[in-house]
Amino acid sequence: MAPSATQTLLSPAELSYIHHSLSLSPPIRPDGRSPTEFRPLFAETDILPNTNGSARVCFADGSEAIAGVKAEVERSIARPGLDISADDDGEEERHGENAWVEMSIEIPGHRDDDALPVFLAAMLTEALLADSELKDRLWINRRFHWKLYIDILLLSPPSSYPLPLLSLTTHLSLLSTHLPALISDPADDPLFNDDWHSATPLYPPSSSTPPVTLLVTTIGETILLDPTPEELAVADAVLALSVAAPLPSKAKKGKGNPQARLLAIRTLDPPSRLTPLGTTAGPTEGAPPRTGMAWAPPQGGLKRELLSRVIKAVVAPGGGAEEVLAGLAGVVA
Amino acid sequence: MAITILPPPPAQLVNYDVSDSEDEDMPDAQGDIDMEGAVRGSKRPRTSGHHIVTPGELIADDTQWMRGHGTYHPPSSTAIHASVAGTILKTNKLLSVIPLRARYVPEIGDLIVGRIIEVQARRWKVDVAAPLLAALPLSGINLPGGILRRRTAVDELNIRSFFTEGDLLVAEVQSVYESGMAVLHTRSLRYGKLRNGFFMSVSGTGGGAGARRGGVARSRRQVFTLTTGRGGGEVDVILGVNGFIWISKHVEAPKEVGITRLEESVSYEMYSSTNDDIAPETRREIGRVAGCVRALVEAGKRVDEDLVVRAYEAALEGDEEGEGGYLGGERGRFVVEAAMVG
Repeated sequence: MAPSATQTLLSPAELSYIHHSLSLSPPIRPDGRSPTEFRPLFAETDILPNTNGSARVCFADGSEAIAGVKAEVERSIARPGLDISADDDGEEERHGENAWVEMSIEIPGHRDDDALPVFLAAMLTEALLADSELKDRLWINRRFHWKLYIDILLLSPPSSYPLPLLSLTTHLSLLSTHLPALISDPADDPLFNDDWHSATPLYPPSSSTPPVTLLVTTIGETILLDPTPEELAVADAVLALSVAAPLPSKAKKGKGNPQARLLAIRTLDPPSRLTPLGTTAGPTEGAPPRTGMAWAPPQGGLKRELLSRVIKAVVAPGGGAEEVLAGLAGVVA
Repeated sequence: MAITILPPPPAQLVNYDVSDSEDEDMPDAQGDIDMEGAVRGSKRPRTSGHHIVTPGELIADDTQWMRGHGTYHPPSSTAIHASVAGTILKTNKLLSVIPLRARYVPEIGDLIVGRIIEVQARRWKVDVAAPLLAALPLSGINLPGGILRRRTAVDELNIRSFFTEGDLLVAEVQSVYESGMAVLHTRSLRYGKLRNGFFMSVSGTGGGAGARRGGVARSRRQVFTLTTGRGGGEVDVILGVNGFIWISKHVEAPKEVGITRLEESVSYEMYSSTNDDIAPETRREIGRVAGCVRALVEAGKRVDEDLVVRAYEAALEGDEEGEGGYLGGERGRFVVEAAMVG
């Protein structure tokens, strides 16, 4: 299980208040949003001139991250035994490798080998590679490939779980990434066009989009998108869902809007499990117990029926994923 | 649309033209006494709005100036340097720097909201957003069973049954050590553990005078009761001077009792962490008040009873359907504008 979200110290009375407000139907969020509403955020792309693609995202709570994508040509390792080159028609298959994408995350106050940055990087890379189209696009010819270095920098201290922020920033930087156009013969050593305007996008319009990892919490029967630290602190379960836009080929074929592609799901350890029990009575046993709700940390896991509702709420046409992806696409355009 | 993604606001252009601001804001080296303020006859301190000094920057090297808050003399020199980043405030011959951002500086008598961070043998350590944690001694709380009771060894052993890590309390600053550490007390029925509500933290009074960014300001009344609309009933708002805010359902205060019968009201109930039943309408209005406070702070306005009440009324008017709704961005600005006008 992933390292738990950063612990926010709350008193049992606050935990009980927020938990009860959120498990009402309809839930009352502390900041008045509807369950599927996101906080407004600021985003811009192409901010770093020395990268192939870059982005900056600021959340409403003041947290901010920048990401840069740098591509380098690297010599592929020859594997003579595994050579599955030339089909009958002489065209080589483009097979990418996982090692061609490297991600590093820097979080202030954390060493680079701490559990949090390492795990977040692994989770984001996993979602990126789950879509095998990306690594195949990095293939140049049998001897050369592109290597992507994705560097993500969290600029603010991690007040809440920084996964969605880092994921959105990575998504935007990948969307704005361009690779120089190849002008040499595919079989030769690669030679590139030095005109930046003719560079090809890493994610062309005919392909899918980079993945976005969204944090979803459940409290009772309520499903909340974009949880605040207080909402995370009382969550019964926290899920990280990695989704990408449906493939354009499928979008045309199917009738109506297709649903977003689900690439990965992870559960995160909800910090509410470690909270102390609220006291119902006073320090002596003689005192009468109060009526009302005392805080009790949630126990047990996530029910299957609820899990399927969570997934539907995110990937269904018109769900959370579609809106986020559409909003992000608007930033680059 | 459930998500709004905006382009970042353009950076504010700062006019660094020194020649322009020299005679206005920077002390001139000629040694002339600035009588401008006296001629105008205004008591309002003049701050240089568009010139920011950084720590270590030379402000003045003439001996005519006096050193105020936020400045220092380097050893074996009489020049005045800034010790914090901020704007220069000039009051006659006194130069001080108002920090752009500062932590709360406790003062005796301040009403504050704090959170217990640590439990020690005979006292608690409380986070009050000050540079140092404040101390709340066991002798500074109302012990159950009467105000005149001595604290005993049993109370020391049971210290966690009164307050434990994470608990919120409202207290008063009893004294301040030389280091700036505050000592708190809750020996009044108005103070004690907080229940039935929602906590939020904004920037508080940094102790400096003059123009400050948004946050809780010291005012006549830090605690007030708001009568809310849409069936929300009455809501208590505690604006801690340190910037911690507690918004809760109003619970009828126990009747004033004589000192001899105090033990009945100071019962173990006082230290329970169980909420009363709170209606959904009340919860929604508590959320709306919190949204108003957040909007005020984001707009850089001061948070006090008057503005909170007006912002709340504006938010209530703007929300016809009674849906609640997020008071951020455009709607937040509208609420603040309406509050400033009304």
